[in-house]
Amino acid sequence: MIISRALASCLALAAMLTSAQAHRLKLFATLEDGTISGYAFFVGSGRAQDADLRISDESGKEIAAMRTDSQGTYRWKVPAAKTYRLVANTGDGHIAETLIDRARFSGVSTNVTDSTTGDEDGPASNGTNAAHIERIVDAAVARQMRPLIEAYEAAEGRTRFNDIMGGIGMIVGLAGLAMFAQARRRETKP
Amino acid sequence: MAHIPDGVLSFPVLIGGGVIAACAVALGLKKIGDEDIPRTAILASGFFALSLFALPVGPSSVHLLLGGLMGIVLGAAIFPAVCVALLLQAVMFGFGGLTTLGVNVVNIALPGALIGSLVAPMIQSATPARAALIAGVASALCVGLTGLLVAPALALSSADYMFSARVMIATYIPLMLIEGLVGGFCISFVKRVKPELLAGAA
Repeated sequence: MIISRALASCLALAAMLTSAQAHRLKLFATLEDGTISGYAFFVGSGRAQDADLRISDESGKEIAAMRTDSQGTYRWKVPAAKTYRLVANTGDGHIAETLIDRARFSGVSTNVTDSTTGDEDGPASNGTNAAHIERIVDAAVARQMRPLIEAYEAAEGRTRFNDIMGGIGMIVGLAGLAMFAQARRRETKP
Repeated sequence: MAHIPDGVLSFPVLIGGGVIAACAVALGLKKIGDEDIPRTAILASGFFALSLFALPVGPSSVHLLLGGLMGIVLGAAIFPAVCVALLLQAVMFGFGGLTTLGVNVVNIALPGALIGSLVAPMIQSATPARAALIAGVASALCVGLTGLLVAPALALSSADYMFSARVMIATYIPLMLIEGLVGGFCISFVKRVKPELLAGAA
């Protein structure tokens, strides 16, 4: 029967395509040494090049606007320790956002104020050894964590074979339910 | 592209899309007869699975929408089919969104329903080759129309979400070609193997 054949080919196609993934725009952002950097990407299908990127602070005021480069990446030097909201927009209906929370600035905030006061000798000369160590640890942790967070972000939106099968099963179930309802209606009518 | 996520559109646009979609889904459900349920479900699952997979094109990335194909075969029943599939995509994959469900249903299904019901009678009386041509053109037009619906939905919501005509052209034109080929191939295949499937578009 054509219907079961069509369903079978649907399933076969879905099985074939499991290596591909859903395309959903995501924005990866990491904070390293007072600079927010990262990239906009489609889960499983490449980077978003030349996408519009806007950064606003807690009050919702836009404080920076830029575009991602040909690799989909961006960099932005943070002026002060605040919570920042980053929104990427490819211009065709794909929009993604991410937050950099102010709590993550603990070590970097001192770094930012240091550089604005023009203190080039480093914090050790300020006698704040703890702040210096904190900054080094922050940088090291950020560097080591980055691949982990990247892998997590990429995995989060990935479509899995089981999920797709589950969705198709749900639709088949709904169709069964509708046919059941219709059959009952026909039974009770005459 | 046609899966607008949550938190992007403004309230009036969401409500407008939701109301139109609700009416259209109700209308579609009313028109589904006993015979139509299996093919509605098959196309819904086809759309659900296929529109998850995307290819990088130019600066962005595209996926199949199948609006034309569904519209030709299902007629008004395209609305419940797309609604169920998009709901599952939103819940399971975070693809699109729950609040934007109505707007997304309208954007994808409305062009299909309109163009599909327009060309379905033509396809019924055409030879397979002609049917393929008509279906191909209709599928491509549906993609274009979806693009034209996504643009104002974004533009009406916020000036921030500027719509880039350049990106649109770079992504939607190749997609129109692909959809045209897929739609044309599928319809000519069905026309040859099981023409009855195209007869009863609600």
